[in-house]
Amino acid sequence: MNTRTPGARSAHAAALTAEYAAIWAYGPIGVRLTGPAQEAARDAEATHRRRRDTLVLRLTDAGDSLPADQAGYALPFPVTDEPSALRLAVEVEERTAGFWQAAVAATSGAERERALAALVDCAVRATRWRATAGITPLTTPFPGRTA
Amino acid sequence: MVLTWAVIGKMTQRDPLPDGTMRHSRRRVLRVGALLALGGTVPSLTGCEPFNREPPPPDPLAPMVDEALALAAAYRDAATTHPTLASRLTPITEAHAAHAAELARITKVALPSATPTASTPADSDATLTGLRELERAAGESATQACLAAPAERAALLASIAAARASHLEALQ
Repeated sequence: MNTRTPGARSAHAAALTAEYAAIWAYGPIGVRLTGPAQEAARDAEATHRRRRDTLVLRLTDAGDSLPADQAGYALPFPVTDEPSALRLAVEVEERTAGFWQAAVAATSGAERERALAALVDCAVRATRWRATAGITPLTTPFPGRTA
Repeated sequence: MVLTWAVIGKMTQRDPLPDGTMRHSRRRVLRVGALLALGGTVPSLTGCEPFNREPPPPDPLAPMVDEALALAAAYRDAATTHPTLASRLTPITEAHAAHAAELARITKVALPSATPTASTPADSDATLTGLRELERAAGESATQACLAAPAERAALLASIAAARASHLEALQ
């Protein structure tokens, strides 16, 4: 409904860049994990891909230019083993949550509902990754808020 | 919206009384009432009626302050009754208290000094089940509040909805 407002447009474009980076990051994350954790990484990656596809369609339909995906993204720390892979997964979800929180404020109606659902999904996945990694506390008071 | 402003215009018109003072025409007041009933805009107008000095409507988020405080109290009581759950419950207690403080700040509601009381079942499984139910309902109220909120409040409410969903996950 509000895709065409400049605020919604730039918030969606920014969320798309975050989803590109998240999808890319789950590559190195997935190869360091095994069993149920690897399965969870695959599931998370598929969710980020779905959101990317939806954003691409919506921005394209609105006649907006798409931000470009990068061939690679700088990781905040090297991913060399399972603990670092899990830490990165937490960080990816926390970071993506911030972009969707911004999109919530920039949209209304069904667009806001979608942005909120994405923020909630990122927050819940971050909590699951913390539980898998043994990081406590499992939750943060204000998901999406950048400190 | 057009109707709303037209009505306010009518409401400010007054008729002179024989003694020179002004009064509202009864017919006009009745007509305003009928228009309001038709337009369904009464709640947004209560603060504007010059002849009815009711206080402005309460902030729609004010009940959320109490809800967040009640959640914090429920978790605090549960952690006291079941010390083995304390390490899981304490961060969530703190989150709900932080939400209450933020909600009080944006609604300009003073945080009550008395903390609400809560009662915790003696059984820890029943306690967790009860907290999950509270959290689920609170998540739903934050979601609805977020979807209805103006932009400047939506981000905070979204974050609170996401926090509550993650609490639910942490209680699994």
